[in-house]
Amino acid sequence: MFETSKLTEWILSNGVSETVLELLIAVCILATVVSIARYIFDSKTYGIYAPILLAIAYSYTGLKYGLAITLVVILTSLLSFSVLNKIRMHYITRIATNYTVLAMVLILFFILIERFGLGLENMANIPPLAFISIAALSDFFIKQYLKKSLQGSLITLFGTIFVAVIGWFVITREIISEYMLNNLWILPLLTILNILLGRFTGLRLKDYLRFRITAKDDSNN
Amino acid sequence: MIPIISKKYKHILGLNRRNQEYVRQYNSSSAKAIADNKIVTKRVLKKELIQTPEVYKLIRSKKQLQFLDWDSLPKSFVIKPNKGTGGNGIIVFYGKKKGQEAWIRPNGNTMSKRDIILHIENILEGRFSMGSKKDIAIIEERIRTDPILKQYSYKGVPDIRIICFNQVPVMGMLRLPTKKSNGTANLHSGAICTGIDMESGITTYSMHMPGSSFRTDSYKLIETTLDLQDNKPLRGIQIPYWNEMLEIALKCQEVTKLGYIGVDIAIDAEKGPVVFEVNARPGLGIQVANQAGLRWRLEKVQDLKIKSIKHGIRVSKNLFGGEIEESIEAISGRKVLNITEKISVFNKGTDISKVKIRKSVKREIVKAFMDTGILTSRISSTLANRIGYLSATKEFNKFNMPEKFENFKEAQEYIDKYEKEICKNEDIKRLAKIVEDGEIKVRPVFDIVIKISDAVRIAEFVSTDSQEIPQPVVIGRADLSGYLIDTSGTF
Repeated sequence: MFETSKLTEWILSNGVSETVLELLIAVCILATVVSIARYIFDSKTYGIYAPILLAIAYSYTGLKYGLAITLVVILTSLLSFSVLNKIRMHYITRIATNYTVLAMVLILFFILIERFGLGLENMANIPPLAFISIAALSDFFIKQYLKKSLQGSLITLFGTIFVAVIGWFVITREIISEYMLNNLWILPLLTILNILLGRFTGLRLKDYLRFRITAKDDSNN
Repeated sequence: MIPIISKKYKHILGLNRRNQEYVRQYNSSSAKAIADNKIVTKRVLKKELIQTPEVYKLIRSKKQLQFLDWDSLPKSFVIKPNKGTGGNGIIVFYGKKKGQEAWIRPNGNTMSKRDIILHIENILEGRFSMGSKKDIAIIEERIRTDPILKQYSYKGVPDIRIICFNQVPVMGMLRLPTKKSNGTANLHSGAICTGIDMESGITTYSMHMPGSSFRTDSYKLIETTLDLQDNKPLRGIQIPYWNEMLEIALKCQEVTKLGYIGVDIAIDAEKGPVVFEVNARPGLGIQVANQAGLRWRLEKVQDLKIKSIKHGIRVSKNLFGGEIEESIEAISGRKVLNITEKISVFNKGTDISKVKIRKSVKREIVKAFMDTGILTSRISSTLANRIGYLSATKEFNKFNMPEKFENFKEAQEYIDKYEKEICKNEDIKRLAKIVEDGEIKVRPVFDIVIKISDAVRIAEFVSTDSQEIPQPVVIGRADLSGYLIDTSGTF
């Protein structure tokens, strides 16, 4: 669709594969999406790594399969943790136990898909690394749950998934990825955008909701 | 839409600005390191004789935990992580269960020694610390809440947060534990947060985060406590030791070198104010509790040269006091005036409708004394002459009025006889009999446009030569309806 730029051609002919280049561009875009979500909308995520990882995993699994696996991972973690919470045990062993339970449930899940389909017939074709990436969400979720509260962790989880889905949408549009691939000058532009976002001192969208009962034309100031 | 939004929100401090312009600029890494470490904070504050809860034990390793002498601990104590955030990992124990190795928690449940050991191990492993790094467990004294604040809180310890910037206390709030917050003063757990008038230390507006809401940081204004047997009004509570606490907060700022600081102070029934912790990134919910924006306040004090702690407190009280008056106004619908207020007195012939529209109308800004002991307001003849009533005064003086009258009847008879003639001068509205310097006199009355506390009106003024009036203008009862007079600044 777009003419291959000379810079892209030069990079590709110098040991960088197209897949790697695409992936690296995707990381830049996703990082910017997370920045915008955080500093403009005040969307809570499990750091910057989790939504990027999740969005890339979704791009490999497809959104339907990705969300299905996410749901299994979170439900399993929640269930296993509510049981494990009642047992007196150390913190790391609790997380390790949770991972073991999660692995067993995922095996069971794949068997169920194989047997009954459940509308997810192509699950076997999904690269295993994508599964692992989504399963890693359990760690972020549980850590937050333990440190703060279930409610707090769920809110951050929804924020992470929401940002990851937006990221997935952006990086899986062929027109965007192809344009980016052939217009690598956009990468420094993203750097500048991130610097500007980093220096942004205005209110975040959620601040407007948060302080709506404080903000009055004739304030107490 | 956007300009309207930004205008309404211009006083509010958001997270982005707080981090960029205050936390990053005014709180150095070394100062933040002090605030983020409770043990170091205690050590630094102790040097300045600022009271903090007494530390019974510090547990740095599992080995130390293994050899902990449980019998040496008092009946009630608190366990907290050294580098914990948001009140996570803090457990309070009220007493030891008789004949058992178990301690009683504020909700009545008990926790066995084994469970406590496990909790301490979790602290050591970094479950509650920033960045999940290995931590130290602190076993410290439990604060016994001051009886005044105890009646408003559910079990736990209420605390007062004071935010200071550039050596000026800029905003304060009282946090009251509730049943929902499980006895903690954490806002996100459901504690009540009440704004404090910086001048008087009296509580103003209150709010809390409603129950099961998944919308974080969604506040609701409330008037009374929520889940006590006998719920009490939250407005108008006088915070004990208020001035002392402002001083402590500023001392904390001085010793920690945090330019922008939140100091959490609890009031112990015996010891008085005790600093719980200092915060290098204090939350912004305080703005909702005070119904006022922090940004405006911070900008106001940013470039001030503060000479001393006392000076800082004085500046704070002058700049940010008065919310309690606005609270009274909100309840009573009446504006509060100080006993002496600055008012605008407009020149003769001023069109009142123009005053409301234009700002550049000729006026004099003078001090006025509020005197409910007189009916009609007074104006010194010097001021009246200056704003255009010189010819009217001269005209009045031409009538060779007696210097004084024996009684009011005699004065009234004189008025009845000459008023019509004197009032031919259109500036003189009527004549009034008044007591001036202890003598009964008849003086001219003028209609003058004035502006008191944003309200523009035409008021009747008796022109007086008295040497005894405290200010050039004295506002009488006739012009004070709808106002409450604050006499606290009288003497």
